[in-house]
Amino acid sequence: MNAIANPKTILLVEDNPDDEALAIRALKRHHVSNQVIVAHDGVEALEYLFCTGMYAERDINFKPTVVLLDLKLPRVDGLEVLRRLREDDRTKLLPIVVLTTSSEEQDMLNSYSLGCNSYIRKPVDFVQFSEAIRQLGMYWLLMNEPPPL
Amino acid sequence: MNPETLAKLRSFCIDEVAFEQLKQTLQAEIQPLEQEIKQAHLLVEQHKALFRAIARLREPLEVEPIFRATAIEVRQLLKSDRVGMFRFYPDSGCNDGEFVSEDVDSAFSSAKEKKISDFCFGDQFAIHYQKGQVQAVADIYNAGLSDCHIKILSQFQVRANLIVPLLQGEKLWGLLCIHQCSAPRRWQQIEIEFVSQIANHLGVALKHAELLRSLRLEIDERQQAELRSQTLNKGLQQAIQELKAVNKELEAFSYSVSHDLRAPLRSIDGFSQALLEDCAEQLDTVGQDYLRRIRLATQRMGHLIDDMLTLSRVTRSDMHVESVDLSRLARGFCTDLQQTDPKRRVEFVIQLGLVAQGDPNLLQVVLENLLNNAWKFTSKHLQAKIEFGAIPQPNGTLAYFVRDDGTGFDMAYGDKLFAPFQRLHASHEFPGNGVGLATVQRIVYRSGGRVWAEAALEKGATFYFTLEAEEVEV
Repeated sequence: MNAIANPKTILLVEDNPDDEALAIRALKRHHVSNQVIVAHDGVEALEYLFCTGMYAERDINFKPTVVLLDLKLPRVDGLEVLRRLREDDRTKLLPIVVLTTSSEEQDMLNSYSLGCNSYIRKPVDFVQFSEAIRQLGMYWLLMNEPPPL
Repeated sequence: MNPETLAKLRSFCIDEVAFEQLKQTLQAEIQPLEQEIKQAHLLVEQHKALFRAIARLREPLEVEPIFRATAIEVRQLLKSDRVGMFRFYPDSGCNDGEFVSEDVDSAFSSAKEKKISDFCFGDQFAIHYQKGQVQAVADIYNAGLSDCHIKILSQFQVRANLIVPLLQGEKLWGLLCIHQCSAPRRWQQIEIEFVSQIANHLGVALKHAELLRSLRLEIDERQQAELRSQTLNKGLQQAIQELKAVNKELEAFSYSVSHDLRAPLRSIDGFSQALLEDCAEQLDTVGQDYLRRIRLATQRMGHLIDDMLTLSRVTRSDMHVESVDLSRLARGFCTDLQQTDPKRRVEFVIQLGLVAQGDPNLLQVVLENLLNNAWKFTSKHLQAKIEFGAIPQPNGTLAYFVRDDGTGFDMAYGDKLFAPFQRLHASHEFPGNGVGLATVQRIVYRSGGRVWAEAALEKGATFYFTLEAEEVEV
């Protein structure tokens, strides 16, 4: 588990600064990744991934290993982000993990229908939350073989 | 006899005397023939009038124009002075009434719309008229009529009259009256028959009018009923719309509860834990204890929010009714419970073959909650018995029950049992949020049934529920 040598990055799409801080802390603590990019809403996430707007200069060939996507986001919400990513050939295979507070059946159904790879509900208990983040990072960054892009 | 014929006859005769005799003989033969022709002519006219009366019956269904036209025609044909339709007031016992239609010679006064009371009539005559009897009086002063009757008739200058009953079905509705005012008149049989036939046809018109009236009444009633049901429908639709709006609002509310209420809790819990981990050496044991308490409280609140959402989801979810084997479900839960604590000695008694109609997911929640409670509230006893079964209700439906011989509760607090977040035991004794039975109640209500409990302290509890709607007394 050599985090420093790991070039793999995580795109965290999260508008709540507390959740962002706690998620990054958990990732760092478990040495899963020191490369976490944060997008604070749907628009920012799409600009990052498609290299438009404030990320127009970015190299589109550089893709995050996994996207942690909240559903409730300002401007463009998580389901819409998911839909647009799956519509585009450049991102249709990108691993996307929905990480949300909602346990509504409808949200789960919509997320899976749109093609998310996993659906994780954020627990209130921080120890559980931290553990969830650790396993998530371990699995997607270390164990999972990414799609050949 | 025409002059040419007479001249011819004259030439046949020997002298004037013989001719006179021949003429007289011939005339005696011809006269009755002429009379017969006149009668036949009258009969034809009457028949024509009858046909017209029948034809009128086919046209307007209102009796007023039929009466009016018939009165004119009959008076012309019979050359009488007044023809009137007299109507008895309903419920007057055929004592009171008035002429509702009339045709009268201008030389005589009108009898129309004047209340006429004849107290000697109702008792004496009504019954005969009811049977269809006709009265033909050639001279009212010479027919043995009672004084009061004569007085009434003379009021309208009546000298001779022909009275035929107007029957509406079996009921004596009124009288068709033909008056001769100028002089006495001997009514001919042919005239009496004609008037009787006219009266028959007017009876048909009256019957039609009655049918029409009740038909109109019925149409009116139906239209009003339809109007009422339309209003009701409109109100219902509005209520449904409002309910839908409220439901939608509720859905949005619980969605935002699940998202927004949880987020700050996670922050509180997360940063408390971060403090414990990152700044442990700066905190003494008291400080660390406080942080742990904060974390416990936030986690408790997290569970409460979860339970609240479960409760609201039970109400919102769609119902899919099918046959559900409750016995099998109960058996499964009991096995699971025993596995959570294999050391506990609990006897499970499950009645077999209890199949109910309901939503499988919701019924599962009901049984799970009730059996979990039974398991929980027998945990302080070394040995326990948990039963699932059904008993027939007075109305023939089944009441299912889950019975335990555990801690039970005081029935005095029984009404609080099913209210959300109400608990009858301290949480350090028996953990719980007080949502389980509220959830059970909501599901049972949605299925149209009811739920109730019987218990006593330290004598166990029995929870009953039905799944079929019972007849509601309004």
